[in-house]
Amino acid sequence: MSKNDRDSCTLELRGVSRHFGPVKALDGLDLTVQPGELVALLGPSGCGKTTALRIVAGLEVATSGELRLNGVRYNETPVNHRDMGMVFQSYSLFPNLTVSQNIDYGLRARKVDGDKRHKRVTEMLELVALESKANSYPHQLSGGQQQRVALARALAIQPRVLLLDEPLSALDAQVRGQIREEIRRIQLDLGITTLFVTHDQEEAMAISDRVGVMSHGKLEQIDKPIVLYNSPATSFVATFVGLANRIPAEITSKGKARVLNQKVNILESAEPFAEGSKVNVIIRPESLEIVSENDLDATRGIVALKSFLGPMTKVGIAVEGAPLIHLNIGSRDVRKLEIGDKIAFKISSDEVMAERV
Amino acid sequence: MLPLLPFFLFTGFFLIWPVVAVTLRSFQGNNNEWTLANYRPILHSGPYLHAFMVSLKLSLITALIGSLLGAFFAYVIVKYARGKFGAVVDSISAVFANSGGVPLAFMFVAAFGTEGIVTKVLKDLGWDIYAGHFTIFSFTGVVMVYSFFQVPLMVLVFKPAIAGLRREWEEASISLGASAFTYWRRVGIPILIPSFVGAFFLLFAGGFSAYATARALTVGTVPLVPIIIGTLVDGNVISDQTNLGDSLAVGMIVVATIVMAGYIWAQRRAAKWRS
Amino acid sequence: MKRFSLKWPLVISSSVLAFLIFIVPLYGAAVYSFKGNGGKGHSWVNYQWLIHQDGFYPSLITSLKLAVLAAILTLALMVPTMVYLNLKGQKYKSLVDFLCILPLIIPVVSLAIGAQVAMPKILQNSEYELVFFFVIIALPYTYRALDTSLQTVALKTLVEASRSLGASWSSTILLVIVPAIRSGITGALFLTFALSIGEYTITSLLHWETFPTWTVVAAQQNILGAIAISVFSFVGAIALLSVIALLPKRNAQRVEVDE
Repeated sequence: MSKNDRDSCTLELRGVSRHFGPVKALDGLDLTVQPGELVALLGPSGCGKTTALRIVAGLEVATSGELRLNGVRYNETPVNHRDMGMVFQSYSLFPNLTVSQNIDYGLRARKVDGDKRHKRVTEMLELVALESKANSYPHQLSGGQQQRVALARALAIQPRVLLLDEPLSALDAQVRGQIREEIRRIQLDLGITTLFVTHDQEEAMAISDRVGVMSHGKLEQIDKPIVLYNSPATSFVATFVGLANRIPAEITSKGKARVLNQKVNILESAEPFAEGSKVNVIIRPESLEIVSENDLDATRGIVALKSFLGPMTKVGIAVEGAPLIHLNIGSRDVRKLEIGDKIAFKISSDEVMAERV
Repeated sequence: MLPLLPFFLFTGFFLIWPVVAVTLRSFQGNNNEWTLANYRPILHSGPYLHAFMVSLKLSLITALIGSLLGAFFAYVIVKYARGKFGAVVDSISAVFANSGGVPLAFMFVAAFGTEGIVTKVLKDLGWDIYAGHFTIFSFTGVVMVYSFFQVPLMVLVFKPAIAGLRREWEEASISLGASAFTYWRRVGIPILIPSFVGAFFLLFAGGFSAYATARALTVGTVPLVPIIIGTLVDGNVISDQTNLGDSLAVGMIVVATIVMAGYIWAQRRAAKWRS
Repeated sequence: MKRFSLKWPLVISSSVLAFLIFIVPLYGAAVYSFKGNGGKGHSWVNYQWLIHQDGFYPSLITSLKLAVLAAILTLALMVPTMVYLNLKGQKYKSLVDFLCILPLIIPVVSLAIGAQVAMPKILQNSEYELVFFFVIIALPYTYRALDTSLQTVALKTLVEASRSLGASWSSTILLVIVPAIRSGITGALFLTFALSIGEYTITSLLHWETFPTWTVVAAQQNILGAIAISVFSFVGAIALLSVIALLPKRNAQRVEVDE
């Protein structure tokens, strides 16, 4: 595996916006991707993540803001001079060219001479383990293989930045996991600065150094995956990243609330909640634990749902005055549990997040 | 299988049998003996071979004009005609592509004939198109008229091929550092060629077989195979070989079949990359 | 950053070309058709003249009659055929497809000669023989129209649902399938009708008089009148086919497009 001949770059977006009349696809995005870092932009359809990526690539133009590579502004650089490798969601391989010719494409455009090109193509084929398919055509490959070729093609030109636009979305679930590991492995090996766009939070969390959660053209929070998970800055992030229960509650005093007849501590928020105000409290399934029915502080309910997920089982509990509460419990522990059984649970985290209703 | 019997019987009797019958009779001489006599006038030089040449030339020229102009229009439409406007253009193309025949011929006579409106306007502007050898009732006239439906037919048939050029290919190409010219040279045009060739064959076949339009414009003045068949059938021309019309008809079938085989082959090539 | 876009030069040049190739002849012919007697002024005189000729109505009626019959025969033949083909007869699909493409490959002229040679005398003595050939000529279009329509409908599912609820085959076809492929049926109907009304080649080679062939003969007497009616029928055909083309097409599944 050869390291990228270039030094890793810093990619910066400053105040990048994209307006279509009154519609703001992107609203003042500030983002810095450190050299060799893999940052994922995560969010639902229409949040602006793909727009941001395409602006970085040059396939779309920002209405305002600056793009910088290693501190140098490059807004005006034409797309084909930006030296960025891009992997698209699907169907981006040239169908009339073989795998080798596809990988070779960017090198020929740069007038790299024959021997060097040949060597580089071989290197790339080894990188993605597709040497045997060198002379195959894209339609003869599976979806996963096609994306690996797309990756090899993008990396062949030794780009300064690697851009990935939902590269796994069109693949089967099982293949997705494999390819995503491969992408991360290669990215780390080459030390290439990477921006990765996806709507799949599991994917983003699994391989990124940092994840930026976006909504309505704005970056809600950007941090390491574990921080995003444990300390979401907004309720949107809390419910988008990982699963969460949203339960109605009432503020009893400063920093405290009553939810489902239990008392909890509330995380400080920018504007303090007034006593007696109604809020929603956000609790992760793993922050709830099943207790004996005799526990007086517990909330009682009926088992309404049981979804076997492998090592864990998702249990849905119907409780009066609340939406269905989801818990994740080790499958062994709930083997004897049936739908309709009475059950009791408690909130086990020190502090929970609250949002205004 | 049984429910399909009516269909097979119908096409067998009204489509296959006539073709077989005319082929058989083309090999029969004046006294019902088996002979190649009907084919000799075509194969040896003479007015009939000449007519085939003229027909082929007409097909070639109109197919070229139609395919090049049509491809150009198709590209512009795919790239710039979006949504509702695109749908309108589609239906207009469909209508024009299926036009032809006598009304079309008359229309052109009305516009470009010796007393035609456009002829008059051009004369007033100082350009007398009839000053030279031009007349709407000539080979050139037929080419003009055929273009009216060949171009839209090309647009109809070729548009899907252009629309099939994925945006991702262009974007991938440009992000890899290639120029637009390189993209077209290495990816775009190679992918389009089978469809273009196929469409060209289709236009060629259409130009070759067209009858009504040519007849309305040229009876007697331009030697075209379909027209000659018509005059033989009408009894306006008596030939030594009573079944000469049959051999001409079979000749047309042969030409059309070869061309359509080319079309089908080209379509298969194009489809290979779409999977 | 503004880049030079090819858009306007392309759009303008293609519009100009299109105008020259299509609009000029159309417009010229339309203006011509309104020429008054003796070539002066504008009037409906030419349109009126044609209507008053002997043979206008008889030939028009003949054309209409034959076109309607052809349209009905097409439906009666093709709807059951196509339905069966897509349900149980899958293995015959390419054969039927090929047979329906043949009328495009075989020059109509050749088919006409073949008809002269092959058709039994009884048939050849009646103008109704044209009906059968109109159906054949329209086959490529009717096949496509019905096939496309049947593909977009979940045919198997509909049939299974209907049968499992206890309906007989004929009820299933009439009450479930036919409404579902309404647009395909209408398309096939209109196409056959339009083709038949305007068909000239076979009709004239087999020496029958329908509206198109009669028009050509009348043209030899009064070119203006013939042109008037040609323009009229051309515009009429445009209107008819536009109606077909603008018919709402049913999409069985809606596909979500991710931006």
